[in-house]
Amino acid sequence: MKKSCIAMLLAGGQGSRLYALTQNVAKPNMPFGGKYRIIDFPLSNCANSGIDTVGVLTQYRPLRLNSYIGGGQPWDLDSADGGVFILPPYQTAGENGSWFSGTANAIYQNMGFIEMYDPDNVLILSGDHIYKMDYAKMLREHIDRDAACTIAVLQVSMEDATRFGIMNLGEDGYVSEFEEKPKQPKSDLASMGIYIFNWKKLRKYLIEDENDPTSSKDFGKNIIPNMLRAGEKLWPYRFDGYWRDVGTITSLWDANMDMLSTTLINLYDPEWPIRSRPVGMPPHYAGKDARIVHSIVTEGCVIEGNVENSVLSNSAYVGKDATVLYSVLMPGAVIEDGATVEYAIIGENTVVKAGAHVGAAPDGSEGWGVATCGPDIEIRKGAQVPAGAMIYKSEEV
Amino acid sequence: MSDFHGIIFAYGTVSDLGELVKTRTAASLPFCGRYRLIDFALSSMMNAGVLDVGVIMQRDYQSLLDHIGSGKDWDMGRRIGGLRMLPPFGLPEYHKGDYTGTIEALNAVSTYIRELRAKYIVMVQGNVAANLDLKAAMRRHIESGAEITAICTERTPEYRHHRYVVDADGFARHMIFNQTVGGEGLASLEAYIISKELLVSMMDACAAANHYHFHRDAIAAYLASGGKVGVYLHPGYARRIMSLETYFDASMDMLKPECRAELFPKERPVRTKSHEDVSTYYGEGAFVTNSLISDGSIIEGEVKNCVLSSDVRIAKGAKIENCILMRGCNIGEGVILNSVIADKYSRVSPYQTLMGSEKLPIVIPKNSKI
Repeated sequence: MKKSCIAMLLAGGQGSRLYALTQNVAKPNMPFGGKYRIIDFPLSNCANSGIDTVGVLTQYRPLRLNSYIGGGQPWDLDSADGGVFILPPYQTAGENGSWFSGTANAIYQNMGFIEMYDPDNVLILSGDHIYKMDYAKMLREHIDRDAACTIAVLQVSMEDATRFGIMNLGEDGYVSEFEEKPKQPKSDLASMGIYIFNWKKLRKYLIEDENDPTSSKDFGKNIIPNMLRAGEKLWPYRFDGYWRDVGTITSLWDANMDMLSTTLINLYDPEWPIRSRPVGMPPHYAGKDARIVHSIVTEGCVIEGNVENSVLSNSAYVGKDATVLYSVLMPGAVIEDGATVEYAIIGENTVVKAGAHVGAAPDGSEGWGVATCGPDIEIRKGAQVPAGAMIYKSEEV
Repeated sequence: MSDFHGIIFAYGTVSDLGELVKTRTAASLPFCGRYRLIDFALSSMMNAGVLDVGVIMQRDYQSLLDHIGSGKDWDMGRRIGGLRMLPPFGLPEYHKGDYTGTIEALNAVSTYIRELRAKYIVMVQGNVAANLDLKAAMRRHIESGAEITAICTERTPEYRHHRYVVDADGFARHMIFNQTVGGEGLASLEAYIISKELLVSMMDACAAANHYHFHRDAIAAYLASGGKVGVYLHPGYARRIMSLETYFDASMDMLKPECRAELFPKERPVRTKSHEDVSTYYGEGAFVTNSLISDGSIIEGEVKNCVLSSDVRIAKGAKIENCILMRGCNIGEGVILNSVIADKYSRVSPYQTLMGSEKLPIVIPKNSKI
């Protein structure tokens, strides 16, 4: 069946800068904001924008991500003539097949999938961004502007512009130049890594790029510059809402803290629900001596102690006289009686035993950072985990 | 195909629940925050692998239909078998009024029952807060060789109920009807495992004699004719929600960890219709103790000994104690509530005070504004 636009979601990255947290799961499957996995944001945006066919390209540790996405029911993506499809690297007759070698190569290897739907346009998404965006609006601009490619852009400070791919615009408003992490940025419009391509054109550039042995097969580094050089029309779609890349421990922690403020991103908006696969736990219980302030708490939690400025995912436990400050507890994290966790991220099902102390408040020193405990480990009784520490295994402390 | 077929009775009009059942049946009454009472019956079936289930309903079932949908939340949205909603068939004889008893309700859907190919029928009430281990009960039923097994509790339901006096061989000898306090025997949870043949013959015999009651007529006659009733003892929490007082009391039970552990054991999760709810946000002025809080709420005030459903708003300076607030309630600034049950989407304007008592909680009807 012919489609106007289908989405391809790049979810294969390891997220190596999240270190211990992504030992066993791909970054898009990382719990986020209490109720969600990171991938819930692009998937919900697709569902809310009326895009009913989504290919999810997976590569690094895909098992949990696959079972999380399942048939796509939580996002209403289990439709009869579309749906959500997991697309791993695969072999073809006579060839050995290969891993995805870059973002463009991942799409190249799945051209067969795209062609089953014969779409006019293809939306390329990342599995590691937190934002609410109406792709239908972007698609309308893309069509109105008769663009070969429309790139979502965000205004950033000139300071930050050095960290992004920056779009310089011509007088007609179309993109005239693209610079990856420029030292002297000429514009403050940063690419968000969200593209809509005219499929026929993209197909041509993908094949050309694949045949170029010097190419790193990346959208930002190769495809977009090639299209610009060839004189294609590239349109910047301006987005002015909340958008965060959560690729590092600091940005992941920051973005979680942002969830405490509805003025930054309103998750309570019934018009644009972010959906997630339900875990089906009972309501959370605030105990007789609980004190919970400026925090979000999710189903299945039991809180007997103090929680302030924190994000608690489902089934987290905070014992008596335990304190959780400015921290993120991932699903099933246990903070035992009298333990303290501050400025920290505690991985899934990790147990901080009684009296242990994880992390510390910022002291202005250069070495300070958010303390991180990987999933499924135990921080032994009375242990001290300093600020900025990264704990992979129980034996480390 | 499973040898077992489930039947859930959700027709009950329980007048002692007052305003709460004005727009719904007791089975679709919100309970323990995010759940409806029927979730326990449906989840008990699901956890025992009984996915072919008929739900008998008679009237005011819109909220029930809305909640259950296709049954997919309980894995019962199947292409073969799965969930069947059983409203009255519209024959004039069943428009005489409310079903008088279980047998009348079964006879109202007798075609459905007769056509079942399952060997055993598992029957459960839709308004009981109990997480039944039906797999264990089914095993007991088959091992005992009984034609019918009653699921009972050692605890004492404070409402009118029937009791089985059990012999040394583990079978029930006789029944004591309409007890309101404890005493001899074990209380029936009105949940049964019965062979399809026996059930159909009971339905026929009762229909011929114009009898309507499962216990008073069918079981009593079966026992009198020398039939053996097996007994399976449900060890955990069980409350049949029959009045405002039991509803309030059972809701407050949920604040006790041991009651929650029995109703929500890890190995038998309770499923419910999923909503797109966000986590609950606690504001700077929030002070919440000994309470169950569902997702999607925003709490800025004080909450003590309460059960809150999803999407509740509690403004600054509000003090809520011993209350049950259902989905979408909005409590204004400075409001003081004690022993109040606020039905879905009710709004209480700033600085109002409402004080009920545990024995006589105040009910704020659905969608009302105070």
